[in-house]
Amino acid sequence: MRRFRFVWLAIASAPLAAAAVHGARAQYGGTLRVETRANVHALDPTATPLDRVDAAAARRIESLVFDTLTHVDPAGGLRPRLATSWESDRGGARWRFHLRPGVALHDGTALEAWQVAAALRAVSAGWSTSIDGDAVLIESQRPRPELPWELADARFAVAVRRSSSSVVGTGPFRLERIEASRIILRAHDACWSARPFLDAIEIMMGRAGAAQLTDLESNRADIVDVSPADARRLTDHGLRVITTRPLQGYALVFEPHKADAASDRLREMFAGSLDRSAIANVLLQGRAEPAVALLPSWVSGYPEAFAGRTLTRTAKAADRLPPEQRTVSLRVDSADPVARLIGDRIAVDAREVGFTVTVQAPAGLAPRPDVRLVRITLDANIPTLVLARLVAELGPRALSLATAEQPPPADAPLAAALAFERALLQGSMIVPVVRVPDLYGLADGVEAFSGEPVDATGTWNFANVSLHAAARSRGRP
Amino acid sequence: MTLRLRLFALVAVLVTLTVVLVTSVVASSARQAFATLDAQRTAAIAAQIRREFAVQQDQIAQRLERIAASDTVQRTVTELGRSTADPARHVGDAGPLAAAQGLDFLDLVDDRGKILSSAQTPARFGYRHPAWADGGAAAPATPAALLQRIDLPSEHAVGFIATRTVTAGDHRLYVIGGRRLDDQFLAALVLPEGMRVRLYRDGDPATDAMRPLAARVRQTRQDAHERIGGGDGVESVAAIPLSGHDGEVLAVLLIASSDRELSDLMSRIRWTGVLAGALGIALGCGVSYLVASRVTRPIESLVDAVRDVADGRWNVDPPATDASGEVGALARSFARMTAQLSEQRDRLVQAERVAAWRELARRLAHELKNPLFPLRITIDNLRRAKALAPGEFDEVFDESLGTLTTGLASLNTVVARFSDFARMPVPEFAEVPPNDIVRHALKLFDAQLAAADRPPIRVASDLDASVEPIEADADQLGRALLNLLLNAIDAMPQGGELTIRTRRAKGGVRIDVADTGEGLTGEERARLFTPYYTTKQHGTGLGLAIVQSVVADHRGRIWVESEPGRGTTFHIELPQSHETHMS
Repeated sequence: MRRFRFVWLAIASAPLAAAAVHGARAQYGGTLRVETRANVHALDPTATPLDRVDAAAARRIESLVFDTLTHVDPAGGLRPRLATSWESDRGGARWRFHLRPGVALHDGTALEAWQVAAALRAVSAGWSTSIDGDAVLIESQRPRPELPWELADARFAVAVRRSSSSVVGTGPFRLERIEASRIILRAHDACWSARPFLDAIEIMMGRAGAAQLTDLESNRADIVDVSPADARRLTDHGLRVITTRPLQGYALVFEPHKADAASDRLREMFAGSLDRSAIANVLLQGRAEPAVALLPSWVSGYPEAFAGRTLTRTAKAADRLPPEQRTVSLRVDSADPVARLIGDRIAVDAREVGFTVTVQAPAGLAPRPDVRLVRITLDANIPTLVLARLVAELGPRALSLATAEQPPPADAPLAAALAFERALLQGSMIVPVVRVPDLYGLADGVEAFSGEPVDATGTWNFANVSLHAAARSRGRP
Repeated sequence: MTLRLRLFALVAVLVTLTVVLVTSVVASSARQAFATLDAQRTAAIAAQIRREFAVQQDQIAQRLERIAASDTVQRTVTELGRSTADPARHVGDAGPLAAAQGLDFLDLVDDRGKILSSAQTPARFGYRHPAWADGGAAAPATPAALLQRIDLPSEHAVGFIATRTVTAGDHRLYVIGGRRLDDQFLAALVLPEGMRVRLYRDGDPATDAMRPLAARVRQTRQDAHERIGGGDGVESVAAIPLSGHDGEVLAVLLIASSDRELSDLMSRIRWTGVLAGALGIALGCGVSYLVASRVTRPIESLVDAVRDVADGRWNVDPPATDASGEVGALARSFARMTAQLSEQRDRLVQAERVAAWRELARRLAHELKNPLFPLRITIDNLRRAKALAPGEFDEVFDESLGTLTTGLASLNTVVARFSDFARMPVPEFAEVPPNDIVRHALKLFDAQLAAADRPPIRVASDLDASVEPIEADADQLGRALLNLLLNAIDAMPQGGELTIRTRRAKGGVRIDVADTGEGLTGEERARLFTPYYTTKQHGTGLGLAIVQSVVADHRGRIWVESEPGRGTTFHIELPQSHETHMS
């Protein structure tokens, strides 16, 4: 009897087990519908769009089409990609990268070492490239011990130029069509890392945040951008929201006419009025983190307090300032909904201590502001690289007003990065506010074979994404 | 200006004045009527707005009631009662609730007065709500929506705000919300054409012209009226203060009534006045023409008759003597006067004729007396010489015969001169240049004036080359000029200056002959052209009479200017054509 029971239990459990196995195993086919507010008009690692949002989206999409020699995983570990191994001389000025054999380009031809060398030469960052058999040699004047980490950046993806307007890559997807508001990527069947589960990816661009949420909730999109303020709404509706680590920071940057010594107290009081905790925990629903330093700890490796600031709010009544200094105009990016939210709260905080704050979100020309809320890109692996991008985004004028020091070179030691960051923050010309991750809303049918569809570094892991049967049955774009 | 024209103008002015007066009165009445109507409409609109306010206040209260009863608010107040409550979860609650109920403002406030969520200023979470600004424990729950000021980041708005309190256990949640009172709020009002309702806002360009009016209303807290604008854009604006529960004026309601309708009516009245005036003037002109014609026709006949009499035509028909009234009396008096004048003239002519005959007889007697006396003496001598010896008789006889011959010749000369004057020939007209006649006449005196034994007379000839030929008898005209020149020369026995001048005159030519002689007395000037009157010792007194006769035959006129000691100037004006008169 006992045996009989086990038999029946086994028979009854069989369909359930089969269903479980079926559900866990990724299925091939289908088109993933992605929406973003960015606009990308070309996929070429050597060209960077002017708009930061567009540039970040371009890097994400390019990572699906083009491969880098190396890759940094979400845990920070360096992984091989087109290069299977690498070694350098003792100083790190001469590197040899051994290429993966049998890698096919999207047009069916084999990737050759000289093509890799030519691609790296096109984005040369102060090195020379050559080949040695199936290996690529990279030599620089100075030692570059961080070079394999640098080469993991999407800027150094290998794009083989076929004509002046056509480049092909080796990534899991190939570019099929690019239109004004839509990009279609098709699976690369001969991809060296295995054929992706999806047949295609359709990326709708220029979509407003509200429209994306509506499309996601009405099952017209599979993956959309989500503002931190909207994340709770999606989760309340039973949808999944995945988050990266903070990849953008927001900081106040005072304009040159507020850089003089007479404005020292103004800047100090304005910075002291910020309630970063409320912005991060309430306004952005706990999806952001207060920031008093420019570099996040996960990039710099040292606590933020080392940068010379604390999170404690030091609000002081602004009525001690001369009347003309109590009026401050704050400019925020009209196209950035998160910036507008943060800007409004900053204005409220400042008004509470006696400032008269006008928030400008101009779409075109506007009167000169006193302070700007600037978005800082943090998606780099090396502190010096983050600082270099920060310097580029702030501009030389703001930088010269904040500090007389020059940004450290890419291979500078960590102490140099720390010193430069402290110099930037001294004088409150640049005031970090919060750091914000990228958030994505996922439709029900989207699954990832391993990890998440978007990993913590912000990389689109769509080669590992599959769709449920209902989602797969949708028509081919 | 003729009497008819004056009457015409008088009627036109009277009609115009009447029309202007009537138009002004009508316009003034219309303006007053409009003002009254405007006041009534404004009062009606104000009443309508108050009713609309009441409706909106009720709606706000109901909507707030629904929000207070909603799952979201009930869940929120319940969660807040837990120790693990996360206020951040509710920061976005107010926006959707306000949107769902059509409210512009909605704050969810905890029992400490801190804003949990705000629809209008989402970034204000965590701060104390203005109702708790004075540190009060809680805002009162108001059953009806009251007008309140709402401080927004970029402006101070005004709206109807109500409060509801939601309680769960010991915890309370305040739901404070309402609707903005703005132009959109007022847009729901149904307004008569030409009226508009606005809320005054500082810095709003659309209501900037009403700033002083709004300021006055804020200060006095009472209604005020003013006409604002210029040209066609004039509006009558009624400003009504909208006060909060503490009496502070939070907004000013502007009810503007366009004056376009009034202006159109005034324009129509003006144009009607103009048209009526034009018609009245035309009608008045017609009537006045008829009336004036009837009234002025006898007067015009009189004027014509007077003009004829002035021109010397005395035998005019008595004009309009059958007319009635003053004009008839005037006409009859005029007829009587002309008859008397004619009779007096005839008598005068007769008297002058007698006088002329007497003068002629006197002159004849004077002229004949001188030659006759030697003849009578000679005849007496011949009678006496009959007694003398034949030789002596023959001597006396021959001498007497010579004397008789001379005397008879003298008598013959006198008779011939008179005969010549009596028989002035009829002029034969032809086109002649007056300057040529003058030059020819002057030439005849060249030798005489150049004679060395006489005092020098300088001749100044000033002949206008633009003088055109005239129809004249060159011989007679030359003879007349010779007489004038001779008179002038005779008038300057001590020498002097003789000036002869020609000029174009209106419709003819003017010839002036001037001397620098002794001049004439007034009596001499009066009798100068009388035949046989002379101031010269040996003159016949016919020279200037002949000149006047020639000028008259040419339908010209002659006159003299002279003062004793200042010389004499004769002026002759001759017409271009002998068939026209010189006036």
